[in-house]
Amino acid sequence: MAADMPETDDAETATAAHPAFEGYAAESLPQAAVGAPGKDGVLELQFAGTGSGTKLVRDYATVPFHISGTLGHDPHPEAETVFVQSPTGGIAQGDRHDIEVEVGPDAIAHISTQSSTKVQEMNGNYAAAETGLSVERGGHLDYVPEPTILHADSRFLQEMRVELKREATAVLSDIVVPGRLARGERFEFERYLSSVSVSGPDGLLFEDATHLTPAETDPDAPGVLGEFTVYGTLFVVAPDRDGAGALSDTLHEAVADCEARAGATALPNDAGVAVRALGDRAETVQAALHAAWSEARETLIGAPAPSGRKY
Amino acid sequence: MSDDATLEAFRLADSFLPVGTYTVSYGLEQFVADDRVTDADELQTLLETYLGQQVGPAELVALRAAHAATLEDDIDRVCHVDRKLSAVTLAAEFRQSSQQSGDRLLSLQQDLRSGGELRAYAERVDAGDAPGNYAVVLGVATALAGIDVRQACLICCHGFATGLLGAAQRLLSLGYTDAQRILSALRPAITEAVEDSAHRTVEDMTPFAPLVEVLAADHERAQRRLFVS
Repeated sequence: MAADMPETDDAETATAAHPAFEGYAAESLPQAAVGAPGKDGVLELQFAGTGSGTKLVRDYATVPFHISGTLGHDPHPEAETVFVQSPTGGIAQGDRHDIEVEVGPDAIAHISTQSSTKVQEMNGNYAAAETGLSVERGGHLDYVPEPTILHADSRFLQEMRVELKREATAVLSDIVVPGRLARGERFEFERYLSSVSVSGPDGLLFEDATHLTPAETDPDAPGVLGEFTVYGTLFVVAPDRDGAGALSDTLHEAVADCEARAGATALPNDAGVAVRALGDRAETVQAALHAAWSEARETLIGAPAPSGRKY
Repeated sequence: MSDDATLEAFRLADSFLPVGTYTVSYGLEQFVADDRVTDADELQTLLETYLGQQVGPAELVALRAAHAATLEDDIDRVCHVDRKLSAVTLAAEFRQSSQQSGDRLLSLQQDLRSGGELRAYAERVDAGDAPGNYAVVLGVATALAGIDVRQACLICCHGFATGLLGAAQRLLSLGYTDAQRILSALRPAITEAVEDSAHRTVEDMTPFAPLVEVLAADHERAQRRLFVS
């Protein structure tokens, strides 16, 4: 392949590790194709409830996903934890990721990522991740990844489908950081679309979508993000539990005094509670959502959320 | 449109229409309580957000679909659209307000008109098969009255804007002239919302106004309030 690439004028000035290789050094390499090996990451996790707690009974991960076993630090004695790792620098143009998680009957699983997901700068195509989560009867899933950071000129599509069986519950969170804030990068990405659709045993419960195109629609508009930068949502899904109204009040109280501006409301179709949080930094939004998550977990499975520490 | 349809459109767009508009503020009361809206300019900008981020990408999409389904005599489809609108309206107070106004419009229209389609839809709402959102009821009612879908969308936006301006008159002591000035100035935002909704399918209802939702959540728990939303 490389031999077919046209040589450029730069060939004479390129430097190589050895003078004999200088002629080759200027030849550009085409990037791996859309969805090619290494860009088509697949992650499949299956949890089952057993007599001695929840076990990860199947795991399959291809680059850029990596799993190094489970962790046993959850405050709930029967819960199992997986931190998804990535050996890469983040999500690149042309990436197509596919995540499938199944939580068996009465199993309790907690999934997070080791660090923030960085969506890299792009000059062609886009990146996409599809996530399917299912929780069987009486099971519980906490799907609380670290924030997604959208670098300048990135385009990212994230679609999530969630299906809950009878008596199943789930906590889902998503935090989006619109740039590398510390270096002054803010809302310089091109397009971000994240959608979630959640169904219960009786059909569609609710849907939510965040579609940001900062160059076309001002994200700072009053009522949209206003003066805030980082945006996060936590869904507590418990369609077969009574008292969504009371839980909504409890979660609202849990986030009321947080540094982030946050609030809770009861979801449609008695599906549970939505918590929205807006802040200036990822940490404050994370702190608010963690407080709500911990309260929700006490109500749903009788144990608080594990600490957010990853190192 | 026939004179009859035009007059029906005027009636449905009038703030005189008894659908409880004076009880709702869709979070505006909390924006005022938080000092986020203190004058006519800030009010106008916020109303533009409502129209562009909530009414256009959700209510109008549902209205259009309900209007089309009514013309095709497809009540199942109307109910589907109705449920879908509720499923994407995450602020609890907004769903309540939308259903209350929808309920009033539906019973009002039944008192005035004797049509099989309206009754069939009302029965599905009564049976809990459809929530009866205002935009959907308006879509059904306008289709039955021979009002074009574009006029129906304009009625929806106009009704929303006058409703919130009415609320603002009480919350901000906004003058009549200022209210009329804002209503006039909102025309481009209304047109844009109507046009944006034309390019969307029912699967593509994506309202997005997080700060409105956070303030609506505060409003749910506010100690003293004039409005139900």
